[in-house]
Amino acid sequence: MASKNAASGKEKLIDEEQEILQAVVLADSWNRRFRPLTTKKPRCLLPICNAPLLDWTFESLALAGVQEVFVICRSYSEQIKDAIKKSKWSRTGSGMKIVPIMTAKETYSAGDAMRDIYTRGLVTGDFILVQGDLVSNIQIDEVVRVHKERRKTNKDAILTMVVKEAGVQHRTRSRGDSPIFVVDSETSECLHYEPSFAFPKKQHANIPREVLAEHKEVEIRYDLIDCGIDVCSFEVPSLFQDNFDYLDMRRDFVHGVLTSDLLMKNIHVFVAKDGYAARVQDTRSYESISKDILSRWTFPLVPDDNYPGSERYQHTGGNQYVAKTHPATISRTAKIGRNTLIGASTRIHDNAEIIASVIGPNCTIGAGSVIENAYIFEGTTVGAECRVTRSIVGSGVEIRDGSTVERGSLIGDGVVIGPGAKLKPFERLSVPWKAPASTAGSDEDEDEDSDIEDIEASQDTVDKASLGPESNAIVWIDKPPEDDDLDSPENYNNLKYMRLGEDDVTLDVHHSDKDTESVVSEEQQLQDSSDEEDNYDDHTDAESVVSLSKDTQGGLMADKEFRSEVNQSLERAFAEGHSVDNAAVELKTLRMASNVPLIRVKEAVVAAIVEKIPVLEGAAEQRTEVNKTIARWGQLINKIGGVDPVETISLLQRHISTSARMSLFGQILAAFYQSDVVEEDDIRAWHSLSTSQGIDLPLGEERENMGKAWIVGALMIHQLDQQSDSEEEESDEDEEASD
Amino acid sequence: MDLDSVEPAFAKKEFLAVLIAGFGNELLPLTSNNGDEPSPKALLPVANKPLIEYVLSWLEQAGVKDVLLICPDAHQSALHHHINSDISPSALNVDLLPYNETLESPEGTASLLRHFASRITEDFVLVPCDFIPPPSLPLSALLNKFRIESTTNDAIVSTCWVPAYVPEKGVLLDEWGPVPAPPAIVWDPATHALLHVDTPDDLDSNGEEFELKMDLLSQYPRTKLSSSFQDSHVYVCQRRVLELLKEKKKLDSFREDFIPWLCKLQYQPIKRRKYARLFADAPRTQMLALKHSTLSSESRSSKAPQPHDDGEEPAREPTFKVSISIHEPTDSLALRINNVYTFLEANRALLSSTTYSLPSDPKDRSLIDHKVQISSDSIVGDSTQIAERTIIKRSVIGRHCVIGKGVKISGCILFDHCVVEDGAKLDGSILGKNTKVGSKAEMTRCISCPGFEVNGGGKYTLKGEKLDISDWTADQSVPADSSDDDGESSDEEDP
Repeated sequence: MASKNAASGKEKLIDEEQEILQAVVLADSWNRRFRPLTTKKPRCLLPICNAPLLDWTFESLALAGVQEVFVICRSYSEQIKDAIKKSKWSRTGSGMKIVPIMTAKETYSAGDAMRDIYTRGLVTGDFILVQGDLVSNIQIDEVVRVHKERRKTNKDAILTMVVKEAGVQHRTRSRGDSPIFVVDSETSECLHYEPSFAFPKKQHANIPREVLAEHKEVEIRYDLIDCGIDVCSFEVPSLFQDNFDYLDMRRDFVHGVLTSDLLMKNIHVFVAKDGYAARVQDTRSYESISKDILSRWTFPLVPDDNYPGSERYQHTGGNQYVAKTHPATISRTAKIGRNTLIGASTRIHDNAEIIASVIGPNCTIGAGSVIENAYIFEGTTVGAECRVTRSIVGSGVEIRDGSTVERGSLIGDGVVIGPGAKLKPFERLSVPWKAPASTAGSDEDEDEDSDIEDIEASQDTVDKASLGPESNAIVWIDKPPEDDDLDSPENYNNLKYMRLGEDDVTLDVHHSDKDTESVVSEEQQLQDSSDEEDNYDDHTDAESVVSLSKDTQGGLMADKEFRSEVNQSLERAFAEGHSVDNAAVELKTLRMASNVPLIRVKEAVVAAIVEKIPVLEGAAEQRTEVNKTIARWGQLINKIGGVDPVETISLLQRHISTSARMSLFGQILAAFYQSDVVEEDDIRAWHSLSTSQGIDLPLGEERENMGKAWIVGALMIHQLDQQSDSEEEESDEDEEASD
Repeated sequence: MDLDSVEPAFAKKEFLAVLIAGFGNELLPLTSNNGDEPSPKALLPVANKPLIEYVLSWLEQAGVKDVLLICPDAHQSALHHHINSDISPSALNVDLLPYNETLESPEGTASLLRHFASRITEDFVLVPCDFIPPPSLPLSALLNKFRIESTTNDAIVSTCWVPAYVPEKGVLLDEWGPVPAPPAIVWDPATHALLHVDTPDDLDSNGEEFELKMDLLSQYPRTKLSSSFQDSHVYVCQRRVLELLKEKKKLDSFREDFIPWLCKLQYQPIKRRKYARLFADAPRTQMLALKHSTLSSESRSSKAPQPHDDGEEPAREPTFKVSISIHEPTDSLALRINNVYTFLEANRALLSSTTYSLPSDPKDRSLIDHKVQISSDSIVGDSTQIAERTIIKRSVIGRHCVIGKGVKISGCILFDHCVVEDGAKLDGSILGKNTKVGSKAEMTRCISCPGFEVNGGGKYTLKGEKLDISDWTADQSVPADSSDDDGESSDEEDP
């Protein structure tokens, strides 16, 4: 190596040394997928394999050589602060400085947190952004290096997302939120990001055509797990600051940056070939990540090595882990299956069976009980002859003798059930909020509070017999909320796909060849038949129909409001004598803003123009007045877009049938014709429409008037016929004359 | 039994070639009628060899013996004449099938196949008449690929894609029209499955985005999307394709309608089953051989084999796989001559691999003056007469042409029987059959229809034009120079 190079290399080295590697951990998840486990503590302090999630995250960051970590906490920030203070990272010489940042209660999203980071000026250079639920052994420093290297040539590369390759059906891949990435295979630039939820089921991936404009060949990837690790450049928080509507890191920020014509920033992906990274996003991934840890995919982050908790574990064949420092007491006749973790000082009685489960410290499992694929937190007692399957049981829970906990249940801290309780699958239990045990501090969520009150209030309707006579629990009722937001992954049906113990058979999203046929066949048949009719157009399936009707409902709601807005706007135009073009622009804007179909606007405009005509006594005066108004404003009808004169006449007829200006129909129509708003052919076309006679309307004045209007139209056509006949004759004569 | 004496007729033919020769409207005015005589696209000379010859020899090299040549009525006699003449020396057994259609409403390939379905009794290779395959892409490679894909993965059609022709800067001329944009395609590089072809209909329904079914993504989670390849229009098909075509009567074009539709079947199990019922399962000819072949490990099941009820062999369901091979030739371009740019490009590409030498026939040689400069990357046809001080660079001159004194021709293609008078300058132009260029006329990047006449006298400088008969009549109104009668009368037609 040339000496010069060495010197500059050294300089650079010093530079890089000065720049310490920072990470930001968002401790809040801004969703409620773990409730009721998280009613009294933050999700990031839930234990996974007996160590709090946050500690796993810290461990993951420490592996990557991060030196400074900011933890952004909102809910239960005091608890998080305490946890950090007590953790081993706070000891001197840990090599990593952890700074908890309390953010305001009004921080409702990752976007808000990023804006907070910006205003506080926390980060000084490129930083790693992770969620407080990450378990990873990826060398993130490698990603940072690649990111920095890229930044040297491309200043616009602001973000590198770490993703991991996996199959579509991989257990760690969240089914409720499995995005599509479109990536340039050479530069790994992400060109398009499209979220996809299990519900509402996406029919199509929409990839912008322009991605091919600048890239010859791109890859469409639906096999990536988003690890939730982002290497951000320092300008990322400022972008959040500039775009105050960015909430979610992916759906808003990534999507926004990629679709923006103004920002001109690039986002890249880093496909991690080696290593493991996943987020505990929901109870389903909680299970899969627990299993991944126990089967050592996350090495060295395993209970017997770089374990973030305080306990040491003994690893034996078949991936059994038993606490070493405070050994568990296990009966000789108890059966311990594979992939099982048993916490410190836990007692397991005779003939108990533990299969692929995690048992917290200081637990007691009664004689003859079967714990299968369950996750039991600290200090919980399971009585004799109980059965717990595929569930998460909080700390300090008592499950008394002879109880059964079915799959998918979540049991909050301190709950007592049994004896002889029989829980339904997916039951969620917690203790009442105002129970004496609760230490409702200053930092509980008002929002959450009211929710819990609701649940408590509805307890009377719930049959609690199944919880056993000694139970103190309240039941969380599983019902879809009224304001279900289908655009968010947190919608009711989508959450189902993210919960623990959900069976693939009952809820399969993906069409593999065989097992899903029963679910999808009907829909597919529908598609098929429509496909047959017009080759490719198969958008008409049940779901889109549903959403459409919903939309129109929403439209009706806003209709009245919109109508009055249009009237106001037109009144202004009439009063202030705007030009037709200006009025049209204003109406168009209004239409965009309230998202109503064009015909509504037209309806309103026709009505407004008709009502604008003053009713006068004399026939001649009336006629001039009509002509004046139409001549001035008639063209507005065609200016607002979608010229359809036949529709215009229908709307006029419809409106006038219920209006005091019924008698003016003929004159107005004539005036329309005069000022070229409608043509002769349009009048004929309207007249021949079946709806124009108003026969399908209920008997009454409106129908009568519709009929009258139709007759007026007939007269007019008759006149026109005569006129054109004579014209033809005239022109014939003309021709003859010219010959 | 003496195996050698077995009549070839008893051996079952494996592939039949179906060659479609169309009007070639996209090559107008080169394919305009010459008087009453049609100029079939298939017979346009590329480097002085009729276009169709390239495909025919490609077929012959791959051992395909039987060819169905489908052409419009009007072209029948011209093609018939060509095939039976000695210019086409091949040993192929060409069956000429004319169909009745007009220039205004040409039939789609799918419709033609439906029409002639009774003539096709085995698997077939659908070939366009305008494909010039590079030497690195033998048809046998495609056939082999199909043999494997169709037996192991039950591929129904094998498609072949080549890099799309990208014109260099400045090549495009408004007057010559645009180069059609190649469609965007989605394919799975792991299983070589073609999954989606973007059609004009798709573009109409959504001009902003590609709409891909989620079923595609969940079954093929890692796919590629590109629009830098064009369809070579070479399809190796199972006979079953014709059954499907019979079902889907509305599909007119093979490339734009049928293939995109067929691609979708791959991820629509219900629909697939519906069409699968059409086929009584006939065993594939090569099945047994391939069962014992080590190659069959290419089978695509990345999933673990699923256990099924023992005793009952699962019915083999057609997968309707559309396989794709993307060929990026290193030696020369793979071109489809479906616009004037590629026509010019193909000629140029072939020129660069030739070296010109004076004709060996003394009679032909005597027609070329001593003081003529012909660059080595040029081709001059037989019986062509070239007068003194003429310079020819990088051009193809057809047969029986007459070229006057002091003519400069560079980067041009002159079809047979062209006449260029003294002092004319031609640059980057294509002259149709029988074109006459008057003395001292200058033409830059022009295309003339057969039989066109450009007036001489140095008054005309034509640039970037498509000269068709209609233009020509307009030209006549301009007073013609009188000095254009010498040289023209010379015997341009040798016996």
